[in-house]
Amino acid sequence: MSSEVVRPPVDHDAPPIIEVEGLSLRFHKSRRHRSIRDLLFKGQTGVRAGEFWALDDVSFSVQPGEAIGVVGANGQGKSTLLKALTGTLLPDQGSVKVHGGISPLIEITGGFVGELTVRENIQVVSGLHGMSRREIDAAFDEIVEFAEIASSLDSPYKHLSSGMKVRVAFAVVSRLEEPIMLVDEVLAVGDRAFREKCWDRIEEMLAEGRTFFLVSHSERDLTRFCTRGLYMQAGRVTMDGPIEEVVEAYLKDSDDNLALRRHEVRQRRQARREAREAAIREQAAADAERDREADES
Amino acid sequence: MTVDTTVSRSPWARVKGIWAARKVLALLIRRDLKVKYASSALGYVWAVLDPLLMAGVYWFVFTQIFQRLDVGAEPYIVFLVAGLLPWQWFTGAVNTSGRALNASAKLIRAQNLPREIWVLRPVLAGAVSYVFALPVLALFVVVYGAGVTWYVLLMPVAMLVMIVLLTGIGLLLAPLIVLIKDLDPIVNVVVRLLFYASPIIYSHRDLPPGYEWASVANPLNGILGMFRAAFFPDQLQVSGALTATAISFGFLAVGWLVFARLERTVLKEI
Repeated sequence: MSSEVVRPPVDHDAPPIIEVEGLSLRFHKSRRHRSIRDLLFKGQTGVRAGEFWALDDVSFSVQPGEAIGVVGANGQGKSTLLKALTGTLLPDQGSVKVHGGISPLIEITGGFVGELTVRENIQVVSGLHGMSRREIDAAFDEIVEFAEIASSLDSPYKHLSSGMKVRVAFAVVSRLEEPIMLVDEVLAVGDRAFREKCWDRIEEMLAEGRTFFLVSHSERDLTRFCTRGLYMQAGRVTMDGPIEEVVEAYLKDSDDNLALRRHEVRQRRQARREAREAAIREQAAADAERDREADES
Repeated sequence: MTVDTTVSRSPWARVKGIWAARKVLALLIRRDLKVKYASSALGYVWAVLDPLLMAGVYWFVFTQIFQRLDVGAEPYIVFLVAGLLPWQWFTGAVNTSGRALNASAKLIRAQNLPREIWVLRPVLAGAVSYVFALPVLALFVVVYGAGVTWYVLLMPVAMLVMIVLLTGIGLLLAPLIVLIKDLDPIVNVVVRLLFYASPIIYSHRDLPPGYEWASVANPLNGILGMFRAAFFPDQLQVSGALTATAISFGFLAVGWLVFARLERTVLKEI
């Protein structure tokens, strides 16, 4: 085990909890008007101009209890992959099979309504995620304590600061007893102390043996929580292995990119300087020519 | 719970999915009603004020200004309220369910619930609001001394047909409005025209000769007839009620088909 978190061992002979096969998802580069006829009667097959594959023939399977870090630069399909796993995006080709419920820590403030109080929101959103009345009552105090929100329980949700909103949302969603947990950079907001609290909570959930997906750019978080890495480039999983190796490959690539970009910038600057110098030389030559002509006449 | 998106789901799987999410749906509806009735001091009054004011206006225009006492049925104010309450449900549900996928985009992206419930939610919330408004109708019936017949049993039937019709229209419009920007204002205009094209402020019996087809083609005619039959048995048109039911189920079938076909595309656009 490479990560620092203590967790039950993964049973590699158990049936997989997630099976992804040939998963492909296509997006339009720009919003384009389609005719009603096009939509209703023409099929969805065939790549059109202006389309790209956000996910391109992605296949992998996950054992219960695995902790997977998804790495890659922006726009390479990481979030799309998580959305396909939750079922909030449907594949254009291939299949996604998830055997078990998911706690999606993605867009966690989605179910909250500004007009209702924090108390009502906690009850409603827990219910939206499938918790029963009794479960909600049992978890309510814990949620309030975790979010440190006791003093504003009866004020409207919209009066909270954005950081507080995320706190409440995280407190609710992290209370769900689902076997799979997806985290997509939600913790970027919130102050440092709370972020650390969130990670502690996630660690707790990992210790219970839940299956875990983390999208992150933080090398530290990835290696702390995950054991396996998926490296995504242009919609494909280009590497699937131990998290250290995957993170190393990603960092190397992004360092290379950075170096390349610096190199390009340097070259461009050099070219500009040369052009400027050439212009000055030309000007000087022209001036000298004019002076000579003036002398001669 | 198993998420399987391998194949496009069968209608049966969709029904089962909606049934499994019924508690969530009930919760959403309760939340909507709470926001509607509890967020302002006059909550309940606002909800019934709109149809009552409209009823007052039409009553004044037709009986006081035009002095027409033969339009609709007597007592005319009861006739109006009995028609305007279902109409308010209809127009509210069509407008809200059409925009439902855009309006709930945040929740739809956050959670894998059957997408149909975003359409069912305003339709059923409208049904509950209609039931909540019934005491006001009863008050008018008592005050103006309209008789109540056994046809009052048709009211739940009328509500069911209305739910089927509205669900069909909502399922049809919701994905199309996401994908076709111009559709929303068009729907608004059509709904407004439909108000005058439906027997709400008049009776289907008031249609001039040669326009009888209009009362059969418009499902609202048959549905309104069933809603009013408790107090105005002669407004019940059996042929109209039957065609309205058939048309409503037709809408449901076509709407659901379109919805299922476009779901994948819509999810990417919101």
